[in-house]
Amino acid sequence: MTDNALQIEGLTAGLGDHQILKGIDLTVPFGEIHALMGPNGSGKSTLAHVLTGHEDYEAAGSALVDGVDILGMSVHERARSGLFHAFQYPVALPGISLEKLTNEMEDASEEGDVETRAIDAAERMRMEPFLDRFVNVGLSGGEKKRSEMYQLAVAAPTVAILDEIDSGLDVDAVRDVAEMVESMRNRQRGVLVITHYNRILRYMTVDRIHVLVDGRIVESGGPEVAERLEAEGYKTR
Amino acid sequence: MPSFDHDAVSAAGANDAPWRAATRSAAHDAYLATAMPDESEEIWRYIELGFDLDDYGPALEPGVPLDGDPLLEVSHPAVAGRLVDGYWVGDDVEAAGVTVGSLDRSSSTEPELVESVVTGAGLADRRDRFALAATAFGGDGAFVHIPKGTVAPGVIYLETQATKPGSTSFPRIVIAVDEGGEASIVVHFRSRQEDDLTVVPQIVAALGDNANLSVTVVQNWGYATRALGNTNVVVGRDAALRFAEIGLGGKLARLHLDVRLEGRGSSANIVGAYFGDKEQTLDYRYFMRHIGTNTRSDMFLKGAVEDEARSVFTGMIRIENSGQKTEAFQTNRNLILSDGASAQSVPNLEILANDVRCGHGSTLGPLDAGQRYYLMSRGIGEQQADRLQVHGFFEEALLKLPQPEIAGPVREWISNKFVAAQVAGRV
Repeated sequence: MTDNALQIEGLTAGLGDHQILKGIDLTVPFGEIHALMGPNGSGKSTLAHVLTGHEDYEAAGSALVDGVDILGMSVHERARSGLFHAFQYPVALPGISLEKLTNEMEDASEEGDVETRAIDAAERMRMEPFLDRFVNVGLSGGEKKRSEMYQLAVAAPTVAILDEIDSGLDVDAVRDVAEMVESMRNRQRGVLVITHYNRILRYMTVDRIHVLVDGRIVESGGPEVAERLEAEGYKTR
Repeated sequence: MPSFDHDAVSAAGANDAPWRAATRSAAHDAYLATAMPDESEEIWRYIELGFDLDDYGPALEPGVPLDGDPLLEVSHPAVAGRLVDGYWVGDDVEAAGVTVGSLDRSSSTEPELVESVVTGAGLADRRDRFALAATAFGGDGAFVHIPKGTVAPGVIYLETQATKPGSTSFPRIVIAVDEGGEASIVVHFRSRQEDDLTVVPQIVAALGDNANLSVTVVQNWGYATRALGNTNVVVGRDAALRFAEIGLGGKLARLHLDVRLEGRGSSANIVGAYFGDKEQTLDYRYFMRHIGTNTRSDMFLKGAVEDEARSVFTGMIRIENSGQKTEAFQTNRNLILSDGASAQSVPNLEILANDVRCGHGSTLGPLDAGQRYYLMSRGIGEQQADRLQVHGFFEEALLKLPQPEIAGPVREWISNKFVAAQVAGRV
């Protein structure tokens, strides 16, 4: 095991000729939760999709998950290498129940304890009523986020990227999700929470905050960074 | 092999009740005067028949039965019977007041009942060459009678086989569910993969007031079989029909469904799932007629085509001016899995009443890239992600099957068709 769950260096990515990420360096050590903040259009979600391997983006540089570069891998190989992406807008999977999905995750995994985690997490996260329901079909915004967090618990990844996991939630649901994120903190894991507002950060302990503006990390620091952004807003630094 | 001639009419009608004999010779005259249908007729649009019925003479007796029906056991039937090349094989069965047996015998012992079901369902309105041939050359069939207030003690299973290469057989299933009766019927169509033959299956049902009937047809004809079927159902007051068809086999398999919601408060739930592969043509023409007030219907069909397969769904909801307070919906969704495959989806509404709620939806498209990406982001490989997506697509229909016990094998057969296409590199 290396020191860093995620280590991104010189990452550039774009759609055709349109460059969106312009050289990202970002490291999340094992056991830490980091936040990535930035204004709309700064490239936060692009970073999440580039790491996941979305075929629309052309990427260069490196992104290491526990020392292994995932950039050349297909989407499912990256997941099997320990990357998990909780989507901002998870798609509906009509006809596929949440239980069916986690069973398939288990079949696809090389580990033996996925099923145990699925059972434990379903109980701990009170997900039983959702297991028979189709994934993200007819769910509220908060329920979709819970479903994503449940899948994260089942996957038990090395790196968890949570994209706008707090968007569209009322204050109770934000607190609920924040507690779930906190519970995912683990010495075998690094977590990167992507958020536009610092609202969710009030309910969890974040080790470090990175500010993304126009495809570049312009600042990294402790929780005080979020406080100042709240007061001053994002301005080009 | 016999021909479609006078001798065949006489042989097929050897056991006719008088009412049946009268329709037979008239249908033969009409048959001789009627050409094979072609695409110029709206009801035959979008498909090429590409054969002449005259090349497949009528089956005038049952052949050697096929054994090993994989669906029979999982259905756990209370009553099981078998039609081979259109002929009832074995004894009639009576269980808990329910009779299941030979149509010929019933046509003689209960002529008025059988005649009223057959004529009442409008089968005689079908004047195409196949329907006329069925009336002129059809022999036996199956008759199911659920008397007044009787609930059938479990699934009634009717295996329907075609076994004679070069023949046309005319399996006819006539179902009478009297007032307040209830029945659940599974029909399994089978023939050998390699047997080049034609089948004209006909299912005719009449539901009395407050009756409940569920019928699921699992169409598993072999790849060299052409099937041109009719299903006609009349639904009485406050009666409920559930009908499902699973389309798997056939070189060409067509079903013309005609449901008449005649009684006030009657309803019909229609489900379909079909998967056309290689060079199959699967053809559905569904007509839902709302005649009574306060009637309700829902059609929900999901289909997939790959390689050079084609499918057709044309759905017609017709609401007569007597059909006030009607609710009627139809949905047909199609997966087009290969560039060479095609699907037609043509929903129609014809509304003569003014106080109704209707809706229809129709989609055609490939597998969804967003779903594939999401599934792969969970560590699931691309091929398995696509299998899951196909599974989910059909699951929405299969969960509506009236007999959940047969969903297991049906799910597996559909999945096998997709996996075979993947393995062959066609999807």
